[in-house]
Amino acid sequence: MRIRVKLIANYRSALPPGHKHGVVELDVPEGATVYDAISRFDIPLNDESVIVLNGLTVDLNTPLKEGDQVTAFSAIAGG
Amino acid sequence: MYGWHLKILRVNLTTRKITTEDVDPQVARDYLGGRGWAIYYMYREMDPAVDPLSPQNMLIFATGPLTATPAPTGNRYMVVTKSPLTGALAHSNSGGDFPTWMKRTGFDMFIFEGKASEPVYVWVNEDQVEVRSAAHVWGKDTHKTTDILLAETHPDARVACIGPAGENLALMAAIMNDKHRAAARSGVGAVMGSKNLKAVVAMGNKNPPLYNPEGMREISVNTSKNVGADVKKGSNMRIYGTSYVPQVTNTLGILPTRNFLQGTFEHVHNIDGDALKENYLIRHTPCYRCPLSCGRLTEVPDGPYKGKGEGPEYETISSLGTGCGVSNLAALVKANYLCNEYGLDTISTGMTIAAAMEMYEKGVLSEETIGMPLRFGDHDAMIEMIKLMAYNKGFGKELAQGSYRLCEKYGHPEIAVTTRKQEFPGYDPRGSQGMGLLYATSNKGASHMEGDVAYEEVFGVPVKENPLTTEGKAELVKHFQDSFALIDSSGLCVFVAIRYVFDKNRIIWPQTLAAMMNLTTGAGYTPEEVLKAAERVYTLERMFLIKAGSGPEWDTLPYRMLHEPLPDGPAQGRVVELDKMLPDFYKERGWDEKGYPTKEKLMELGLPLA
Repeated sequence: MRIRVKLIANYRSALPPGHKHGVVELDVPEGATVYDAISRFDIPLNDESVIVLNGLTVDLNTPLKEGDQVTAFSAIAGG
Repeated sequence: MYGWHLKILRVNLTTRKITTEDVDPQVARDYLGGRGWAIYYMYREMDPAVDPLSPQNMLIFATGPLTATPAPTGNRYMVVTKSPLTGALAHSNSGGDFPTWMKRTGFDMFIFEGKASEPVYVWVNEDQVEVRSAAHVWGKDTHKTTDILLAETHPDARVACIGPAGENLALMAAIMNDKHRAAARSGVGAVMGSKNLKAVVAMGNKNPPLYNPEGMREISVNTSKNVGADVKKGSNMRIYGTSYVPQVTNTLGILPTRNFLQGTFEHVHNIDGDALKENYLIRHTPCYRCPLSCGRLTEVPDGPYKGKGEGPEYETISSLGTGCGVSNLAALVKANYLCNEYGLDTISTGMTIAAAMEMYEKGVLSEETIGMPLRFGDHDAMIEMIKLMAYNKGFGKELAQGSYRLCEKYGHPEIAVTTRKQEFPGYDPRGSQGMGLLYATSNKGASHMEGDVAYEEVFGVPVKENPLTTEGKAELVKHFQDSFALIDSSGLCVFVAIRYVFDKNRIIWPQTLAAMMNLTTGAGYTPEEVLKAAERVYTLERMFLIKAGSGPEWDTLPYRMLHEPLPDGPAQGRVVELDKMLPDFYKERGWDEKGYPTKEKLMELGLPLA
C-alpha cells in the first residue's frame, strides 16, 4: 500500500532527492507499522524526535492504512 | 550582596525627581527578581484599578539575578505594567543587548511613574541619570530613534524605545530594544507613550559580584556545551530560528489560519522556514551571550517589499501570515520590518487585521468603512492597515484598539479570538487542549509565554503529551505557569532555559536553574523553594488581577474556541473542553471553586490576605 512520509526542517536532509516540500511517497507491505515506515530514514527514533500519524499522537507499533501520512520532526525546540 | 545590586532607580516623570532605593534582601530572595520584584512593588504601591494610560500607572523595567552573568541567555529583562489592552497585567520579556547593559548601570530595576509634560528620554550612565528632551525624535521610528540617541549619548550604550505606535497609544504597541528585539505584548509601548517617555538609554560597568564565580563559570560552560552539541547536530532553532514551526503546527492542525476559521494553511510551504532560508536569510543573529542564536537577519533585496531587518519568527508568520491568509513571503517579511520600525506587537497587529478581514468577508465591514477592500490574503491591504494602525489614521484608529473592541463595536464579539481582550498566539487550542487552559487562566491574557505547555503537547519537550486530551492538563499548566514565572524572574530566556536549564524528569524541574541562582546570589535555594517563590509571584499577580477587575470572571475562552469545532486537520470536530480542566486547575492552585486564592494558600505563600 502507498503511504506518505513527511520530514520537517532539519530532518529533510534524510529524504532522497526529489521530495516535494519534505514529503515522499512510499510503498509498504500490508501490516506495516509507523515504526516500519519511519525507520527507513536516518533520524533518531528516541525522545529526540516527535513522530505523528496523520497529525495524531500514536504508538509506533500502530499499523498503517492506505493514504496515511507519517510525519517526524526534531524535538529540540520551541516556538 | 551577590547577584542582585539590590538597587532600584525611580524616575518620577511628572516632577523629574530621580531617586535610588535599596531593596530589602528578604524581598529580593522571596520574589526572585525581574517579574517577581515588579509585581511586589506594583501590588504595594499602585491601585490596580487605575487607568493604564494615566500617570498613576507604573512602568517597570526589571532584570533578574542571572541577567548579565555568564549564564547562557542571561540577557533578558521584563517590562511590567498594567496593560491598556487587557486591563490585566503586562509582563513582556525581551533579550538582545539592552537588558545586560541596563543591569550594568548598577540598578536591577527602573521604575517610571507619572507623566512628563513633553516628550523625554532617560539616559542612565551608572549614577549619572538625566531626563532629556526627546522633542527631536518624537515621531521617528525605532531605528532612527536608536541611531540618533546613540549619537548624542554614547556609541557603546544601548536603547529601548517606542515608535509612532507607542506615541499614538496603539493598544498593541511594543517597546523595541537594540532595534529588532521586542517587549511586545499587551501594549507596554502605549503605556510608555502615555508617559511621554520616548526612550531609555543605558550603559555602565557595574556587574554585581557573584557568590561563587568559579562555580558559575563552570555550570555556564557546561550548559553552553550542551547547547553547542545540539547545534552541531543541526538544531532547528539555529538553522531556522522559530520559522520552522509552521510546518509542525500545520501537521497537527493547530496553525491559526484566517482568524482561526481553519487549523491548516494550504500555502504554508510558501512562508515556512525553508522558504525564508532559501530566499531571504543572511545569517543568524544572537542575543548577548546566547549559544543558540535563534535570531535571523534577513533582506528582501528588491521589488516593492525591499527592506532589511530581523525576522519573521513563528508568531509573526502565524499572525501576519497564515492568520491573515497571506502567502506572499516578501510582503510578510516587509510587514514584520514595519512592525519593528513602528513598534507594534506582530501577534496582536496581525490577528486584529485578521478579525477585520473576517468581518469584511462576511459583509460586516464595508469597503467604505475600511477605505479599501480587506480580503483574506490581500497582503498589500494588510501592509496599509499596519501603517494606519501605527499612525492612528483612518480605519487604523479602530484597528489600534485591538480585535476585542473592534468586533464588539461592530456587533460581532464572536469573531474576536482573545482572552482578557488579548489576541491569541500561534497555537489553536482546539487541537492543543492544555494551551486552551493556559490562555483562559493567564495573568496577561492569551499568551504562550505565560506557561507554554506546547513544549510537551507540540514539541515533545521533555516528553510528548497527547494534545487532544484533557487529563492531567491542569497539573501540567500550573507547573508550566510557575516555571515560566521563575524563568521570567531569573533573567534567562525560555528557549534555552526549558531545554537546558531545567532537568528532564517526567516533568521539567529547576535543579540546574536553582544551582545557577545559588552560585550567583548565595541565597541557598532548593529547587522546591524557587518554584514556591514563582508560585508566590504568580498568585500575587492573580490578586492584582482580581483588584483590577480582571479576575476569575475572565477565566474563559472566546466563542469560537468553545462552540465552533475546527473544520479541518487532525483536530477536526473539536472545541476546547475547558469545563473539564478549569475546576481541577483551581484545585491544583489551591484556589476556591470560584477561582479566588484561599486564605490558606495566601498564608502558605506569605502573601497579604486582603
